[in-house]
Amino acid sequence: MFAAPRKLSLADWGERHLQLQQAGRREPFYGGPLRRHVELEKDFRLEQLQFDNSPAALRLWNFFLTENSRLHQARTAGDKIVGTMKDLGTVPVMAYALPGVRAFYPDGAWWTPCLMECSDKLLQQAAAMGVDASFCPVRAMLPAFENGEHFPKPELIICSTGAVCDDFSAIAQRLEHRGHPVFWWEIPRRRAPAVGETSCELPGKLLAPRSQVEAVRAELQRVADALGQLAGKSLGDSALTDGIRAANHIRQILADLRQAVYSAPAAPLPALEMLIAEMLAIHFCSDRPEAGLVLGELLAEAQRRMQQNQFVLPPDAVRIFWVNPVADLRAMNLLEDVGGRLCGTDFMFSHALDLIPESLPPLEALARTALADPMVGPASDRAKRIIRECQTYDAEAVVISRIPGASHCAREGESIREMVRQELGIPVVEMEIPPVCDAMLPTMTSRLEALVETARNKAKGLKPNSL
Amino acid sequence: MNVFLTSPWIPAEWIRAHGLTSRPLWLEERLSNAPVALSAGVCAVAETTVRFAETHPADAVVFTSACDQMRRGYDEGKFRGQSRVFLFNLPATPTPAARQIYCDELRRLGRFLQEMGGAAPDTKSLWQEIRRAGEARRNLRAIAPSANARSLAEAVAAYHCDGTCSEISTCPSDDRISLALIGGAFPKSDWTLFKSVEQAGGRVTLNATKSGERSLCPEGVDAGDPFEALASGYFDHITDAFQRPNTRLYDWLKPRLPARGVRGLVLWHFTGCDLWRAEAQSLREAFGLPVLLLEAGEATGRSPRDQTRLQAFIEMLKAEG
Repeated sequence: MFAAPRKLSLADWGERHLQLQQAGRREPFYGGPLRRHVELEKDFRLEQLQFDNSPAALRLWNFFLTENSRLHQARTAGDKIVGTMKDLGTVPVMAYALPGVRAFYPDGAWWTPCLMECSDKLLQQAAAMGVDASFCPVRAMLPAFENGEHFPKPELIICSTGAVCDDFSAIAQRLEHRGHPVFWWEIPRRRAPAVGETSCELPGKLLAPRSQVEAVRAELQRVADALGQLAGKSLGDSALTDGIRAANHIRQILADLRQAVYSAPAAPLPALEMLIAEMLAIHFCSDRPEAGLVLGELLAEAQRRMQQNQFVLPPDAVRIFWVNPVADLRAMNLLEDVGGRLCGTDFMFSHALDLIPESLPPLEALARTALADPMVGPASDRAKRIIRECQTYDAEAVVISRIPGASHCAREGESIREMVRQELGIPVVEMEIPPVCDAMLPTMTSRLEALVETARNKAKGLKPNSL
Repeated sequence: MNVFLTSPWIPAEWIRAHGLTSRPLWLEERLSNAPVALSAGVCAVAETTVRFAETHPADAVVFTSACDQMRRGYDEGKFRGQSRVFLFNLPATPTPAARQIYCDELRRLGRFLQEMGGAAPDTKSLWQEIRRAGEARRNLRAIAPSANARSLAEAVAAYHCDGTCSEISTCPSDDRISLALIGGAFPKSDWTLFKSVEQAGGRVTLNATKSGERSLCPEGVDAGDPFEALASGYFDHITDAFQRPNTRLYDWLKPRLPARGVRGLVLWHFTGCDLWRAEAQSLREAFGLPVLLLEAGEATGRSPRDQTRLQAFIEMLKAEG
C-alpha cells in the first residue's frame, strides 16, 4: 500500500487508486478515484495538478473536494447549516460545539473558479451582480449563494466586520442587499496596549488592550446567542469548552504536521497538500471528527516517510516561506517545479493554527483568538510572526502572493517585504496569482526561478539578495 | 498645531475643545493636488493621506479603520517612524460593543491630543463646541435643499474647518435634470464637476459625498454629560457605505431622492475604493434610478471622456422625460 513518495498526475492517480483498492485500502464514505471530481463536478483544474501519491493524500483530496456534497447530505439529514464569513477560524469552533450544526466558509467558493477553470462562470455572474474583476475572487461566493449549484444555502450567515478587507466586506454587504440576511459582528482593529493600559495576552505572542478583548467577547456572546437560537439549544460555557477542546485537538495535529514537514531536512509532503491540510483548520472542512482523522493520517504518513528517510522532493530544494493563500492551486506545484519547497506559511489564518487557551472562560479565550487574527492587526505584527517562523524553519526566501483585487494586498506586501529583508536579509518576491494562472505561468516561473537562484547563490555566498 | 481628520465621523468639536485646530483632510487642497504614483490596487485617497502625513510632520493626522487601505496606510506611517499619527477605530456596526469601542477611542484620541500639546477639555468649552457645531449643522441641513451645489459644498467645507455656518447662495428650482452625487471623498480640486454637470444640462441637488450634506448627519444632544452627548450624537448618526449593515445610508437617501426630484445618481469613487464601487448596483436596485460611475482622476469632471459620459447620461434622462 505504501510506495516511495512521488508526485502523480491525475491520470497516474487512476492507476494508483486501483492498486490501493487491490491492496485492500478501505476508504471513507467520501472516497473514490480523484478523476470522478472532474467528471461529476467539472473540477478540470485537477488535470493540471501534481498530487502526492500517498493514501493519506488521496483521503485529504477526497475530503476537500466533497465538501459541498457532504454539506448537502448533512442538510438532508437535518443538520443546520451556518455560513460563517471572514473571521477564518473562530465562529466555526462555536458552531461545532452545538449538536446538529455545521459551519462552513462560503468564502471558500473563491477556489471554485480555479477548480472548475472558470467553466462555472461564477466570476462573470458576480460581475453581472455588480461585483467585477476589481474585487477579490471571493466574489465567486455571491452567485454561488444564489444558484445553489455549489454549497447549500445556509440557515444563518454570520460575518465579521470592522477591521476586515474592504472588498470582502463590500461583497458580503452586496449579498445582504440581494436578500440574504447577514448577522454582522464587530472585530476591531487590534492595537498595542498603551502605557498603563490593562492588557491581555493573545495567542501568537500578541498583546491587546483588555477593553478590546471585552468588546469582542460581547460580540461573540451575540454570535453564541444567534447560534443557540438556530440550534434550539443554548450555547453555554460547558458546550463551548468542549468545542474548544475538540478544535484544539485538530489544531494540535496540524501543528505537529507543520512542525514535522517544515522542519524536516527535505519535504516529506508536497506544498499543495500542506496548503489543503492547513485549510482544514478554519472550519474542519465541514466535518470536525473526520478532519482530525484526515490530518492524523497525513501526519502519520509524513512521520513514516521521515523515519524511512523518504522525501517527495530533493534535499537541496530551497526552503521557502509562503505568505497568503493562492487563488490558483497550481502555484504550489510551480514552487516545487522550480526547485523550491515549503518551509512555513501564513495563509491569513495563523490565529486558527494556534491553540485556543483552555485555562480561560471559553468566550474570553475565543475573543482573544479572534483578536489574534493577522488580518485585523498591523502588518508589522504579521511580519514579526513571519520572521519568527522563517527563523524557526530556516527559510531561505519568502514569497508573498497577491490576491487580485484584495484590498489588504495593496499595501501590506511592501511592509512585510521590507521588514523581512531588514531582519533576515533573505530574498522576497511578491507576485499576483489569478484564479487560473496559466497565462501568467511564464512570468511566475521566471520570478520564482530568480528567487530560488538568488537564495541558492546567497547560500553559497555568491551575491547579495536583490530581488 | 493642526489636527487633520480623515473622516467626518470623528467630532471636530472634540479637537477644538482640546484647544487645537481641526482640519478636514478630505477637503485639503494640498491633498487633492498632490501628484500620486500608485501601485496596483492602491487607493489614491489612502496614498495621498499617507504622503500628506509624511510631508507634514508638524501636523497631526487622524486616520480611521473604516477603510482597510487607510488603516494599513497608518501602519505604514508608524512603521516609518511617524509619531503624530493616530488610528481611530471607527466601528462598522451599531452594536453596544461597537458604541463602547467608539467611546473608548474618543477618550484615547483625547489623550493623544494632550500628548500633542492640547489641553484637557473642560465641560463648559466642550458644551460650547457641541452647541456651536450642532447649530451650524442644523442651519446647513435646513438650507441644503435649496442651495447651490458648489456654494453648499464650500459652506460644508467651512463648517468642517471651524464649526460655523457661512453664507450660502440658493438655487431656484428649474427644469434642469436633478442629480444626486454619492460617494466618499470629493476633494475641492474635483468640484469642477458641479460646473460640468450644469454645462451638460443638469444640477446636483443632493450631495451625498463626504463634502456634502451626508457629513452633516451627527445630531447635537443638548443635555447630560457632554462627552456622552458628543459620542452619541456622532455614533448614532454615522451614515456611510462602510457600515454593516449600511441600511442607514439607504434610509438617509430614501426620502431625499424623491424630495429633491432626483432623476439619476452619480457615484463618485476613487480607483481601489471597493466600499463605494460595490454600492453601484445596490443603489440602482434600491432606488430604481440610473447610476453613472465617475472615477476620480487627475482631470475627472473635465476630461472629454467624462464630459461626454456625463452629457450622455443627462441626455438619456432628458429623453426619458
